[in-house]
Amino acid sequence: MKILIVDDEPKTVDYLQRGLLEQGYAVDVARDGIDGRHMALEYDYDIIVLDVMLPGVDGFTVLSALRARKQTPVLMLTARDLIDDRVRGLREGADDYLVKPFSFLELVARLQALTRRSRGQESTQLKIGDLQVDLLARKAWRNGQRLDLTAKEFALLVALARRQGEILSKTTIAELVWDVNFDSDTNVVEVAVKRLRSKLDGPFEYNLLHTIRGMGYVLELRDSEEPA
Amino acid sequence: MNPSISRRLAVMFAAASFMMISITSLATYGLLKRELGRHQMTELTTRWDFNQFIVARASDSSKWPHVRDKLDSRTPEDGRVRYWVLSDDPAFRYGTPLPGMERLAKAPDGFSELADPAKHYPMKALTRTIGADEQRPAVHFVVAIDTTPFMETLRAFTVGLIALTVIGVVLVALLGYYIARVGLRPLERVANEAQALKPGRLAQRLRADHLPPELARLTASFNGALDRLESAYQQLEAFNADVAHELRTPLTNMIGQTQVALSRERDGAELKEVLHSNLEELDRLRAIVNDMLFLARADRGEIAPERVEVSLAQEVGRTVEFLEFVLEEAGMQVRVDGDVQAGIQTALFQRAVVNLLQNAVEHSPRGAEIVVTLAQQPQGAVVSVRNPGAQIAKEHLSRLFDRFYRVDRARSGSGGGSHGLGLSIVKAVAAMHGGSVFAESGHAGTTIGFTVATAG
Repeated sequence: MKILIVDDEPKTVDYLQRGLLEQGYAVDVARDGIDGRHMALEYDYDIIVLDVMLPGVDGFTVLSALRARKQTPVLMLTARDLIDDRVRGLREGADDYLVKPFSFLELVARLQALTRRSRGQESTQLKIGDLQVDLLARKAWRNGQRLDLTAKEFALLVALARRQGEILSKTTIAELVWDVNFDSDTNVVEVAVKRLRSKLDGPFEYNLLHTIRGMGYVLELRDSEEPA
Repeated sequence: MNPSISRRLAVMFAAASFMMISITSLATYGLLKRELGRHQMTELTTRWDFNQFIVARASDSSKWPHVRDKLDSRTPEDGRVRYWVLSDDPAFRYGTPLPGMERLAKAPDGFSELADPAKHYPMKALTRTIGADEQRPAVHFVVAIDTTPFMETLRAFTVGLIALTVIGVVLVALLGYYIARVGLRPLERVANEAQALKPGRLAQRLRADHLPPELARLTASFNGALDRLESAYQQLEAFNADVAHELRTPLTNMIGQTQVALSRERDGAELKEVLHSNLEELDRLRAIVNDMLFLARADRGEIAPERVEVSLAQEVGRTVEFLEFVLEEAGMQVRVDGDVQAGIQTALFQRAVVNLLQNAVEHSPRGAEIVVTLAQQPQGAVVSVRNPGAQIAKEHLSRLFDRFYRVDRARSGSGGGSHGLGLSIVKAVAAMHGGSVFAESGHAGTTIGFTVATAG
């Protein structure tokens, strides 16, 4: 997966590059609009992360130059929290946008969503350790034992199981499970995770659902099994 | 530059008085002229009647010398009054005819004007026919008087009127200017006071006492604007202080933790712990900044985009579903009463309702029932959330929607999820939908809600 980052803020570029490399992306960086436009047009990327405020030429200019020739997916970054900017960005052919300050996890989630289209048909059966999820029958088992989950608990489990090993932020979970895409003060996600965990991990040998403090939650089979 | 009010008033006074004096003068002039004319005619008629016998009695040429003598004696030296007898027969003539006099003989009887080359003004004449008698044929007897005295009087009068008009207008203009200056003195005082307002002294106001009612209103509105400015400024100051305070706690935590962590050699697990903790604080900061940016958008007067006409009960239902687990944990129920159709941006609307419900959950006893009422009212669709929590004092009630305002100060600080912007966001969402917020509290519980404009 090849990605181009067009941004002039050194620290931002630095952590994005490192983080995305670790996520398995091949990362190219352009530090101004002119380089960005050149590289975006010259090479083939799977996705481009484009800042709006750039030296040289701004992100919108780069975007329209790109769209004149290519359909590479573009995720815009904007510090200006103006509806105008977003509407303009999307109309001019950006595929998604993020408003600074954004979280790295959210960026990764958006990037995956934008590139997922090319992924093949997902299987209707998910398996993680002794957990088995049947997406069609909407049922889940652990160690052969049927889990008694409510609809939302099941939806949460599916969201996590589909992205096993991936850290999901609370915002992403709220969006995936409840289709809620705004920040709120509620601890809905914590409560939901707590309830799912009591059914999923409570009675069993090892835990699958892990909390990553400050980041979110991940469903994965870990080598060092903690006591339930 | 615009002319001053005093000058403008003076000019307008002058114009008005010029019009008035001119009209009066013209009327007086006309009246005088007519009176003088009438006077001349009376004199002419009297003289003609008085002297016609002299001519009428002379029935033959032998008596004509007597007529001449008589008329000569009646003619004053200065030529102020003159007589003529015009006849086809030279024997019955009198007086040296003036140029154009033949015309009179042919014209019908009546008044006319006679140009006398020796005089500046024409003479006024009365010509009448005296019938034939014996030898004497019918003759025209002409009496003429000099109009110079009349004309001089009229001229002097005219000059007087013009002078009076000019002096009057100038005087009125000067007086008007003075009066306007005196009348506008309170305005000048207010202007001086306004100029003396200091940027640093927000409590300063214009004195409204002893002002005429016209200015008192202006001063009152000006002071009203100052009031609003002062409260907005104070709110802004308090807000800035609150923002700084809110940001200070997480910043202090992060700086401290990081310094402690770096002051010794730490193993990976310990460093990881610090990073996790920092991340939590940073996430709090991000949430605050995002919310403040959102509030700033509403402050700028931004209107909710992409509004769709939907059933509000359905949207409230969705948010209740979202909060299902939280409500279950708290053992609470939500009842939705009524329904209204309204044009809303669903994400913003849900965000506001989530915040209201979250607030109700936080302030209600376990097992309480929260009631959401949807109603159509003249000012728009009304969404109100009632919870049976403790009564909120009046002084808090009005400030509930202020940023970072907490009824219970102890709730602030790190730990709790809310950072005191929840209800401010409700207010911003309402504003973005052309609505407003309200709150009331009694023994039975507290109702907090907002409206969204429905018409248009």
